[in-house]
Amino acid sequence: MSGGDGGRLPSPVRRVIEPFVDRTVAERVLISIAAILLSIGVGFAIVLVSGRIAQCSTAAWTMPVTGLGFCYDPIEVYVVLFNGALGYPFAVGEPGIFNAAWTPFNLSFGLTLSETTLLIFTGLSVAVAFRAGLFNIGTQGQLVVGALATALTVLAIAPLLPAGPIAGVVVVAVGTLAGAVGGGLWGAIPGALKAYADANEVITTIMLNFVAANVAYVLVLEVFRAEGSSVVATRYVPEHAQFRPWLFPNSSDFALLALLVAVGFIGGLYYVVEHTPFGYDLRTSGVQAAAAEYGGVNAKLTTVRAMTLSGALGGVGGAVWVLMSEGRWIESVPDLGFDGITVSILAGNNPLGVLPAAFLFGLLKGGALEIGFRTDVPTELVGVLRGLIILFVAMPEFFRMAGRYAGLGSDGPGGPKTSGTGSEDGESEASGDAAGSGSDAAAVGGGEADA
Amino acid sequence: MRNPLADVPVPLLDDLIDDEYVRSLVVGVVGTLGLLGLFGLLFPGSVAGDLAGIVFSTSTAASTARLAAPIVLAGLGGIFAEKSGVINIGLEGLLIISAFASVYIASVVGIGNAVLGIPAIWIGFMAGIAASTLLAGVFGVVCIEFKADQIIAGLAVWLIALGLAPFMSTVFFGGVNTPNLGANVGWRYSAVMVVVATVASWWALNRTAFGKHLEASGENPKALDTVGVSVSRVRYAGVLLSGVLSGVGGSALALSIGQFVGSGETMVQGKGFIAIVAYLFGNYNPLGTLGAGVLFAGLDATQIRLQQLGYAVPDTLVQTIPYVVVIVVLALVGRTRLPAAAGDHYETEE
Repeated sequence: MSGGDGGRLPSPVRRVIEPFVDRTVAERVLISIAAILLSIGVGFAIVLVSGRIAQCSTAAWTMPVTGLGFCYDPIEVYVVLFNGALGYPFAVGEPGIFNAAWTPFNLSFGLTLSETTLLIFTGLSVAVAFRAGLFNIGTQGQLVVGALATALTVLAIAPLLPAGPIAGVVVVAVGTLAGAVGGGLWGAIPGALKAYADANEVITTIMLNFVAANVAYVLVLEVFRAEGSSVVATRYVPEHAQFRPWLFPNSSDFALLALLVAVGFIGGLYYVVEHTPFGYDLRTSGVQAAAAEYGGVNAKLTTVRAMTLSGALGGVGGAVWVLMSEGRWIESVPDLGFDGITVSILAGNNPLGVLPAAFLFGLLKGGALEIGFRTDVPTELVGVLRGLIILFVAMPEFFRMAGRYAGLGSDGPGGPKTSGTGSEDGESEASGDAAGSGSDAAAVGGGEADA
Repeated sequence: MRNPLADVPVPLLDDLIDDEYVRSLVVGVVGTLGLLGLFGLLFPGSVAGDLAGIVFSTSTAASTARLAAPIVLAGLGGIFAEKSGVINIGLEGLLIISAFASVYIASVVGIGNAVLGIPAIWIGFMAGIAASTLLAGVFGVVCIEFKADQIIAGLAVWLIALGLAPFMSTVFFGGVNTPNLGANVGWRYSAVMVVVATVASWWALNRTAFGKHLEASGENPKALDTVGVSVSRVRYAGVLLSGVLSGVGGSALALSIGQFVGSGETMVQGKGFIAIVAYLFGNYNPLGTLGAGVLFAGLDATQIRLQQLGYAVPDTLVQTIPYVVVIVVLALVGRTRLPAAAGDHYETEE
């Protein structure tokens, strides 16, 4: 974070970046954790309120003292969410703390890590654009285009090579590269529009998301659709050209190798952003575009490059989605690009922060599946939590005020309500939120406003 | 980049509208429609003939009015917020939440019933406005009180609504799409609301003290503060107005077909973002926003009719046209000037 220049130009770029660079890492981590806990608190209120309004024959939860019945049990929701995402390592409602039969290599945890892997790529995609002062909401579209490029490339070249591990490595590498090129080109469009026509990248990337989804759908529907397929999808890529699961069950769609590649990308991107001339251009034009120009940075070119790199990372995410999760391009592309925005903002747009942020989001996504299996609560709850987390991370001032109000000197809202569920999720942030009953009122107040 | 249409001389128009962008918008739309009409008359059997038949038909006009309502109304709301200095990128979320709330409350009251003599569908309409205003209020508090980044907070408003509306729909109706109410608000109401709101917004912005305060709040908040007008209060008013207007638009969208569709990007499908482009295109002028909104909605309505005529173009590809047009328009008109203090937090000086 070399942004020490004290220019007071109210450029939009500076405005977006300011909250994330002018602050110590520790404070950012605290604010992210507080935002997550507050979102969980508000989500708790939402589940409670909707459980009161929904119709059901027997109450799933009865509030102590008041005797009011609710259709959904908000504590159970979070227990299932976090415990389920890990594959139930904790015994709930049974003697003992740990479930003796639990191994890390279970299906649910595999699904969680699979989501984590994909979110690392989309999170990095958003983060790198952010560091250049660009708000790339188009990672979703770049992922869709990259995924299609990968699927078509792999389907085209796989038959040319004899099936085997060496051919597999070649095909996977070429396919991933094709995804990066596809996503990169798609990302370069808003970059060039921003640099040379001054078109706001927030709007153009959102529009390009719609265009990408529609064009890819039509291409597959009309040209590349697998014969006899009931859904709009390409043929499956050959088995040897996919990331294969090691240790984890096949149906978890998770390959440890892909996660290692993702972690490698984190390290690589951190190095590129912090320790290369290109990274310097990127950061300076993100912090102070005018100063960067004076310093000899070609801001227009940097904009295009940053968006291309961002798009390429989204495209690699699409490639991994095809080669690891689905095995083909299919019309129902998950919201990985939008979740990438949350991951990046939660990570303070720091590549290193993307790993824990993506894991947290992987937990939410993996847990959402368990909520669907085990409770009546609609899984769209996780979508609400995603929005709330972004909202709360965007308002650091609130937590500072809450911290001052509580007289603690630091912020630790979330309150006793969430600590009940937090203690079972095995996360380190679960501890240490026992204090802050003053700000708990704020959490509930926010819940009423949103519900 | 110089806009080529700005140089076309039109006698009467030049005196009425001195804004270059708005003028070229009017000239461009009228010119295109005129050409299309001419070709349609000359070659009735051709594509141009069919297209002219579609563009000048009443059913296209009706669906244009229906589709224009959310774009124009949210766009007008966006003008109020942005003029005051708060960039509201969450218009899409406001449309989504009001579309859902209007259908939900209308179905809770029950079609055929009335409260205080007001039919259920209009109760729903007001509930949609209330929901949108409430969410805009939360956005306002977060941006003005807690100094949140406006772009990120606006994005959060969108994502919250995008999650909350299908969530609530599943809670109440067992699926992301609500059942059809079996009653709807006619397109004429939408058309009237759009026109009334446009004229009222133009009047409020250009002929009232409030309009001057809004302008000052976005351009030079310190000056406004100096003369003793609270910047925060003006900004809250701007943001809440964006909520009210988007609420009218979202409710009109959902109640004109009597259903909320929550799958994928929901039935709003990016209209809130198109609204932002509409007011940028109209250069913060309500009349220009109306023109741009009707243009985008007209494109959408035309593509729907085009599909029904059976042109061998996949529907999905035709649906893409409005989005591409938005990108092209933004690239051509990109250099609009934001209010000087838009996006900045203003700290009252003691």
